[in-house]
Amino acid sequence: MPNTRQEEDRHGVRDKFVKSANEGKILANKCTNCGHYMLETVYFCEKCGKNTFDIEEVDGKGTVVTYTILAVAPEGFEDAGSYAWVVFKLKDKPFRASGFLSNIANPADLPIGSKVTVTGYDEKHGLLLKLD
Amino acid sequence: MTNKVCVLGAGSTRYGKLNESIIELALNASREAIISAGITPKDIGAGYISNVFGAADKQVHIAPVIMSNLGIPYVPGLTIESACGSGSVMLREAFANVYAGFYDCVLAVGVEKITHTGTTQSTTLFSYCSDFFYEGGNGASFPGLFASIARAYLSSYEATEEDLANVAVKNHENGMLNPKAHVKRRITVDEVLKSPVVASPLKLYDCCPFSDGASALILCSEDFAKSVSRPYVEIIGSGRGASPAAIQGREDITTIPSTVNAAKQAYKMAGVTPKDIDFAEVHDCFTIAEIIDTEDLGFFEKGKAASFTREGETKLTGRIPINPSGGLKSKGHPIGATGIGQVVEVYEQFTGKAGQRTVKDAEIALTHNFGATGASAAVHIFKKVK
Repeated sequence: MPNTRQEEDRHGVRDKFVKSANEGKILANKCTNCGHYMLETVYFCEKCGKNTFDIEEVDGKGTVVTYTILAVAPEGFEDAGSYAWVVFKLKDKPFRASGFLSNIANPADLPIGSKVTVTGYDEKHGLLLKLD
Repeated sequence: MTNKVCVLGAGSTRYGKLNESIIELALNASREAIISAGITPKDIGAGYISNVFGAADKQVHIAPVIMSNLGIPYVPGLTIESACGSGSVMLREAFANVYAGFYDCVLAVGVEKITHTGTTQSTTLFSYCSDFFYEGGNGASFPGLFASIARAYLSSYEATEEDLANVAVKNHENGMLNPKAHVKRRITVDEVLKSPVVASPLKLYDCCPFSDGASALILCSEDFAKSVSRPYVEIIGSGRGASPAAIQGREDITTIPSTVNAAKQAYKMAGVTPKDIDFAEVHDCFTIAEIIDTEDLGFFEKGKAASFTREGETKLTGRIPINPSGGLKSKGHPIGATGIGQVVEVYEQFTGKAGQRTVKDAEIALTHNFGATGASAAVHIFKKVK
């Protein structure tokens, strides 16, 4: 764990995102100035440029916006079986995230609009999702 | 003195699986550009070099190595990286420096050497060009990212996988006429549709190849160009744009904001509209990209590019020929060189060197090249000088 302020500044943001993902949540920043939501890893508000936020742990449930099923897996994913990389919109929140969804073999398994839930974060496969 | 910027010379290696080192490739293209411009290296005030994966060929800081081996070790060089858009983004910087009057004449050379690493490592290296924490790190390859864009497009507009295949067939047809193209093979829609799936809905023939290669230009002021009795082409518009690095951050996944903004700037600077463009070289790393590009550049209304492509409007003899060189799809995609290679095509078209792929009566052309899934992009517009 980081033990100085500088280390926390350098390494803390993604670590916090990962910790929340392991609890089934997506960590989000809500701008205290304009109310815009964005992922917690963004340092300044995309809309108004301010940098004071209310940090919210958003329920990691969402609907599939688009996806692909990888037939040729990149390095590190060769043992992942048939999987999809999914962009999903968070339920009741105006922003999107993306993750890894295992056991998807063909498009009939995953119509756009399907519901997914964050189940954790894996050093090997990133943000893990399950199909609801 | 005017601040017009001209392309006085151009050169390119063949694109493909090449044996030369990254430095030799860059030097071979540069030599051809210097000779075609009718100058010597002593006329060059600065070098601009675009490259992404120099480390894969055991050479980074490639600019001074290239300048030294051109015999001008005391002329400053600068290496610029912007993923697959490195060439056009570098061109913008070279253009801006001549436009501003810092230099009368510069070398702009793009180069890539990647095929020796093999498909798996190349795929992995390319995935580092994504927003890796959200994309590559969650299992998205580059074909996967564009496949996600394709699925969003196909579910939003009246377009089919067959429409995507039409792009590949057309670009391979053009590439057959380009002696320096990487993939010289005529293909059919049926072959594209039956080729192995890489990342659904994209198949092997929806994807450009990994290529080695280099392309180079000599840019100069109009006064300098007039002092050398060689044909030249004028750059009349230049624009740059950006998009959220990860596609999850884009409100509409079926458009690329960097392209739209770069094009707006370039059209405004050139004082032309999309209707004035006689042909365009666009970034068709995957078939879906050309469909989206031609809408974002204003050639077709949103959602209409597939039907216009089906009707042949983007063919060499169509209303707006797209990628007469064969594009990234057939000519090849050495990522550091691609944006410069597009301008080599414009130079060859406008100076009578494009042979059978010459676009009849063309006078205004556009090049468009982006990095990753369009996180960075640049657009340039050129005018034939009679």
